[in-house]
Amino acid sequence: MNSLVSAILVGLVAVFCMLDSRLLGRMNFEQPLVGATLVGFALGDPGTGLAVGAATELVSMGLVSVGAAVPPDMVLGGIVAAAFACLTDASVETAMTIAIPIAVLGQLLGIVFRSVIAVLTHRADAAIAQGKFKTATNMHIVVGTILYSLMYFLPVFFAVLLGTDAVQAVVNLIPEWLSTGLNVSAMLLTAYGLALLLSLMLNKKMAAFLFLGFLLSSYLELSVTAVSLIAVCLAVVLLGVKYHDGDARVATAPADPDYDPLEDDE
Amino acid sequence: MTDIKTSQDAITEVSEGKKLGQFFWRSWAIQDSWNYERQMNMGFLYGIAPTIDRCYPDADSDSEQMARKKEAYKRHMAFYNCTPQTSAFVLGLSASMEEEYARDPSAIDPDGINAMKTALMGPLSGIGDSFFQGTIRVIAFGLGVSLAQQGSFLGPVLAMVLSIVPSVLVTWFAAKLGYEGGAKYLDRLQGGAMEKVMYACGIVGLMAVGSMIATLIGATTPATFADGALVLQDVLDSIMPQMISLALTMAFYYLIKKNVKSGPLLLIAIIGGVALSALGVLA
Repeated sequence: MNSLVSAILVGLVAVFCMLDSRLLGRMNFEQPLVGATLVGFALGDPGTGLAVGAATELVSMGLVSVGAAVPPDMVLGGIVAAAFACLTDASVETAMTIAIPIAVLGQLLGIVFRSVIAVLTHRADAAIAQGKFKTATNMHIVVGTILYSLMYFLPVFFAVLLGTDAVQAVVNLIPEWLSTGLNVSAMLLTAYGLALLLSLMLNKKMAAFLFLGFLLSSYLELSVTAVSLIAVCLAVVLLGVKYHDGDARVATAPADPDYDPLEDDE
Repeated sequence: MTDIKTSQDAITEVSEGKKLGQFFWRSWAIQDSWNYERQMNMGFLYGIAPTIDRCYPDADSDSEQMARKKEAYKRHMAFYNCTPQTSAFVLGLSASMEEEYARDPSAIDPDGINAMKTALMGPLSGIGDSFFQGTIRVIAFGLGVSLAQQGSFLGPVLAMVLSIVPSVLVTWFAAKLGYEGGAKYLDRLQGGAMEKVMYACGIVGLMAVGSMIATLIGATTPATFADGALVLQDVLDSIMPQMISLALTMAFYYLIKKNVKSGPLLLIAIIGGVALSALGVLA
């Protein structure tokens, strides 16, 4: 099998695994155990793919993505490691060390990409203002799918085609001030997004609740879930005070079904 | 009240199964344009778009419907982030609220729809992430890896089966409970009771956003004075942790209220981030 065909096949596996969290609610096709095994099948060496998958999966097991934090991108790492193990007869351990620069590159690309893709949101805003509703939803389902696919296909394709030295060279080319700076950009963008949300919700009378939620998480380090549940209790109490009726049950009724689905399904 | 009920009979109805199917697939596709600025906003819009389209079927010929349709689309472009599976509940509930609002604009305060979304996304992602990423994934792939290490292809297959089944069940029933629950309670909650629910959603939503400011941004300063003897971040932390994250959010809020356009604000965020990092102000 020539290297161009291999590179395309591995790139397509990467796109499939990536689309798992984009289009299938993160059903876990993106886990290294699955991705690496699929690479093994694509390159005609499923046994090696499975072995690399098991090893990479163990590395990524502890990593859970929470909020805006981006964990090392083991989706890319596992897939590229499996490709190298299948194509070059490298040992599983060697393939794993090869996977690290790819994981770093994937993480950086992820930050840049998720910042730049915010532009689509503004395109959609403009389309809605003009009444082009289909254009707005296409920004999500068409443009989003294409861009995310390219973002994963290209690095994997070039890594397999040109070899790991090329990947390492690219990683070395990125100046440190840029990669650390983009992390700060991601924070500012998150702050901007939350400010946009506040611009719809906040008024002077209710501002104290915003700060109360903030203070509970900043001083007491409570999670968003904890603060939300406390807020529900507080809202029930305040409703009783504000509307002078002892029967707060009706008012809280919509909060009840929130918790039923999960209790049922667990 | 009755004179505004113009669009009462205008809603295009489809079977509930079809609606639930849409909530199901579109909840899974919610991360397709994930971005730092508003995260899953367009994913949510994509999910609720068929509902809005059904609510205002004559928008092309009726300028009032067009205006309300634009409002509805705009409303769901706000910041949103929730585990896809549990998000189906929020989508179902929002859809029932949008339908209610389209039938009778006096029944629901449309700002309350976003307040409800914000109030629910915190707890539902907390529960959803720890269930799917923290529990299901660890069990499924823990088993899968141990089989794979013995060279068995049953490993990845078993891991996928154990992952897919709960995901399908939770998404489907979350969408069903959200939509049916919304339709049931919203009928009951007319007049004063609705106002109370919106007040409660406002409290929970704002407190959740406050908490997100403190937990999602995490901006710090690396600045030190007197040859490292005085670490500015330590001083700030001793006064109020996450103070910088709060200040950044409030600065953007101020600029939005001053009608600064979104393009410049986006540039400020991206270029400003790199610049402030290079100058050693933020990290």
